[in-house]
Formats: sequence, C-alpha cells, structure tokens
Amino acid sequence: MGATTRTVEAPRTTGAREILKTFLLLELWVGLWVTLKNQFRPHITVEYPKERVELSPRFRGIPRLRFHPESGEELCIACHLCETVCPDDCIHIVSEKKPDGKGKRLVSFEINLERCCFCGLCVDPCPTKPLTAIYMSHDYEMADFKRDAFVAPLKVLLNGVDPKDYKE
Amino acid sequence: MGQDTLIRNVLIPTAQILAVVLILPLLIAYLQLVERKVLGFMQARLAPRRVGWHGLLQPIADAVKLLIKEDVIPEKSDRFLFTLAPIATVIPALAALAVIPFAGAPFTVFGYEVKPFITDVNVALLYLLAISSLGIYGIILGGWASNSKYSLLGALRSSAQMISYEVPLGFAIIGVMMLAGSASMVDIVEAQRKAGVWYVVPQLVGFFCYFIAAIAETNRVPFDLPEAEAELVAGFHTEYSGMKFAFFFLAEYTNMIVVSCIATILFFGGWLRPLPNVESLWWLQNGWLILLPLTLGGFAGWLFGQRTGRGLPPMIAGGGIGAAAGAILAMSDLGGLASLSLPAVSGAFWFFFKVSLFLFMYIWFRGTYPRYRYDQLMALGWKWLIPLSVANVIVTGLAIVVKGAVQGRG
Repeated sequence: MGATTRTVEAPRTTGAREILKTFLLLELWVGLWVTLKNQFRPHITVEYPKERVELSPRFRGIPRLRFHPESGEELCIACHLCETVCPDDCIHIVSEKKPDGKGKRLVSFEINLERCCFCGLCVDPCPTKPLTAIYMSHDYEMADFKRDAFVAPLKVLLNGVDPKDYKE
Repeated sequence: MGQDTLIRNVLIPTAQILAVVLILPLLIAYLQLVERKVLGFMQARLAPRRVGWHGLLQPIADAVKLLIKEDVIPEKSDRFLFTLAPIATVIPALAALAVIPFAGAPFTVFGYEVKPFITDVNVALLYLLAISSLGIYGIILGGWASNSKYSLLGALRSSAQMISYEVPLGFAIIGVMMLAGSASMVDIVEAQRKAGVWYVVPQLVGFFCYFIAAIAETNRVPFDLPEAEAELVAGFHTEYSGMKFAFFFLAEYTNMIVVSCIATILFFGGWLRPLPNVESLWWLQNGWLILLPLTLGGFAGWLFGQRTGRGLPPMIAGGGIGAAAGAILAMSDLGGLASLSLPAVSGAFWFFFKVSLFLFMYIWFRGTYPRYRYDQLMALGWKWLIPLSVANVIVTGLAIVVKGAVQGRG
C-alpha cells in the first residue's frame, strides 16, 4: 500500500444502484469468482511425512545436548545453570567430581518433556564456548504411547531419536 | 411368446434397476472424491493423494473402511427405529431415480428395445415431490431414535427446513408443468424440443427458485443447518457409524444427483443438445466425442497444475490435447466410433454433462458461501422464495392465456 491513504466511506443503503446490486446478487457472484480463481492457484501445503517445511534457524524444538564437534567429548560441564534457570523445573542433573579432580562431569541429565515449555531459557546461561552444551534442536515429532518416553535421559539427549522415515 | 413377455416385462426392468442401483454408489463415491479435490483446490490445498494416483482409489478405501467399521448402536436408543431410519432415508432417495430419463432414444440389446429410463409415468413430477417428502421421515426418525440432543435438534431443523422449502420447490416446478402441459419427464423434454428452447429461458425465475430450494432440500451449503458442525456435532447422524452412516451419506448424495437431474430435465432440456432449434449446430449432437476428452484432459491438467504449482496453463493444455485427440478420433472414425454416436449415447452424454455441471455448482457453493442462520433461512424461504415462485406461476399462467387468446384470434 505504501504511503497512499484510502478514505473509507460508509456504505450507502439506499439508491437504485444498491437495490440493483441486491437483486442481481452481485456479491454472491463476486464470491463465486474468488473461489473459481483460487482453484488454479498452486497449492501451499506440503505432503507432510514425505515433505517437510523448512524451519527457521531460530525454531525451538526439543532441547538436546551437544558433543564437542572436533574431540567428540560431552560439552556439558555440569554447572547446573540450566537446571536453575528453568521456569518449569523440568531439568534434573546429577553430577560427580571428575576422577582427576578438575571440575565436574555428568552422571545423568534428564529433561521432562511433559513439563518443558520450549522457552529456550536453558540455552542462554550455558557457559561452554564456542558452542552451548544445551541447544534447542529442530526435532518436533514427540508423540509416544507411554509417559516414560517423555523423560529424555542423557543418551537420548546426546544422540537424539531418528525421525521415522515415511514409507510410500 | 411367454418367454418374450417375461424378458420384456421382468428381466429388462430388473436389469435396469440393478444397473442404476449398482452404478450409483460408485458414482457417489467418486463424486465425493471430486468434491474433496475441488474444495481442496479452492483452498490452495492438495486434497487426498495417498491412496492411488492423485488419490483416485480413495473412494474405494473409504467404502471398505465404512463396511468394516464397528456399527455402534447407542445403549439408550430405540434400536428398531435407529436401524430403520437410514433405510427409510435411502429408499426414497433411490426410488426417485425410477422416473429420471437418462437419454431420449431407446437402444437395442440382443434384439430387445431397451429404454434409457426405468419407467416413464405421466405423474412423474408429482411422484418425485411425494417421494422426496418421504425422505424427511428417515431423518426425523434417526434424530429421535438416537436419544441425543444434537441428533434431535438436527433432525428438527432438517424437517422444518425441508417442509418449508418444499413449497417454493413445488411452485417452481408448476411453471414448467404449465408450459409443457405434462408431468411426465419425457414429455417435458419433448415439449422443450418442440418449443426449440430450454425452459430456463422462459422460466428463469422459476429455475432460480427451484435451484435455491433444491439446495435447501438436500441440506447442502449454504443451507446445511441440520449438520452445522459447530453447533450440532453432525446433526441427525451424530450417533451413526459404519454402514448406517454410509446409508445417510448415500441418501444425501443421491438426493443431490436426483435434484440435479430434475433441474437438467425441467430447465435445461434433459438430453437435448444446446440450442436444439438451430439446425446448423447438428454436430453438437455428437459433441461428446470432443467434449469428453476435453473434460478428461482438462481434469488431468488441472491435477498436474496443482501438484507442480503451474496453475491454469496445464489445464488449458490438457483440455486442448484432449479436444484435439477427440477431434482426430471423430474424423478418422477409428474403431467404429460412428457406431457409438447413437442418439442414446449422445443424449446420455449431454444429460450427464449438464448434471455434472450442476453437481459442480453444489461443490462450488460449498467452497464459497458461509452457512445461513436459522431465522435467515426461514425468512428467505417464506418471505422471498414462496412469494417469488407464486408470482412466477401467476405470470406464466397469464402469459399462456394471453398467448392462447392471441393465437386463437389470429
């Protein structure tokens, strides 16, 4: 529309033109024309399990943990910051002293996805550099049959679950 | 002699009835697929595509699903009436097809003359009005026997609506009956041939009233209040499942087809080609040789255009290729196609062509219009359609009288 402004006049309810409009059902024809035209518009939906929409890079799916991209070690230093900041109290971390005495390491790391609100606040305070240990992944298929399946243990958090491939 | 009578009076009518009753469910199943496709395309969606190429086997899958589904009868329902209701809905709907002529000219099978309609009675229109009124019983029985408030409310709405709209429907038909001087379907079409014009021209107002009343009669959008899902779940068939639901479904779509057939016969010349009075358009009689491939090609192009996001051009191209192929076939007369251009075949083509245009209108309306409110529906029926259709009858009568007087003097 840009800078142009349009003045909207109140619809007139009398006059020969309006009466003609009513009796020729003009607005009904306009409506029919709209749907007829739209039949030839290309589809905008995708066939979901076969095709998927491209997600925004900032999309917040299931929170997951990351390995170091080069060394392949766990990035998490068990600082409990995400556990502290979590508004839903859904992260549960058990840690122990490293045998060599420097810092801590994870024993278990659980995220209760039943409670998680996918706010992404756990990612913000994560101190590991250059990548955060916890991150919001792009996985969004979470349906399951048992409630246990929604408590993601360390192994699932690190490796993720492969989305089931759609078979034709 | 005895055997001949038997074949003529028993075997052929039975075969005709079986043909209609067996082909109809298949037609309806695919009509429903077309409906889903058209609605989907109007909403920029893809519509069913999983089962078969472009979802072409979807109706079969749906039918199988309905057949093997659990048939739930609610505990506190009236079991007998609950079972009776779908039967009482579907039988009048099917019975109405008995008087619909699908084509004009008879054809011969094994030396016996077969007419392209089950029967031609001289009170066909009265019969249709009577039979279609009976369909209300099934709906109200179903709503009552379900013992559910949604079902009962849906059934009440439905019966009120159908009774109200039967009045303008009947008056709209009277105009045609006066012009044709007969209530027989075949005679009405023959009268249009003699008059040289489809009755939609002299009876435009009548057709308008008939079409709106017919949509309301069949409980379709924008008059689908009985199944207003936002208020009534599914209306009178809320509690129905499995085969019983399928019967209601069958009845609704059969009614749609019947009503479209009647509109075609009364106002659009039945099996007559367009402009039946213009001699030089005789080739339109066999127009199906070109129009049918054109339609099929256009349809394939339409599906392709939707899938690939190319829109309209593939449809035009498909239609063009189809038309060209049809024209070549027609001219080269491959495989004795001339024998197929019997009057019965071309008549049936024009009949079904017009009926499918009507059915498309139904779907098109469903994709376009929002639902009426209940009081608006009643106001439209009683305050507009009934006066309009009565006025149409009076004007038609006056016109016939004046015309008769002028001709009598001259």
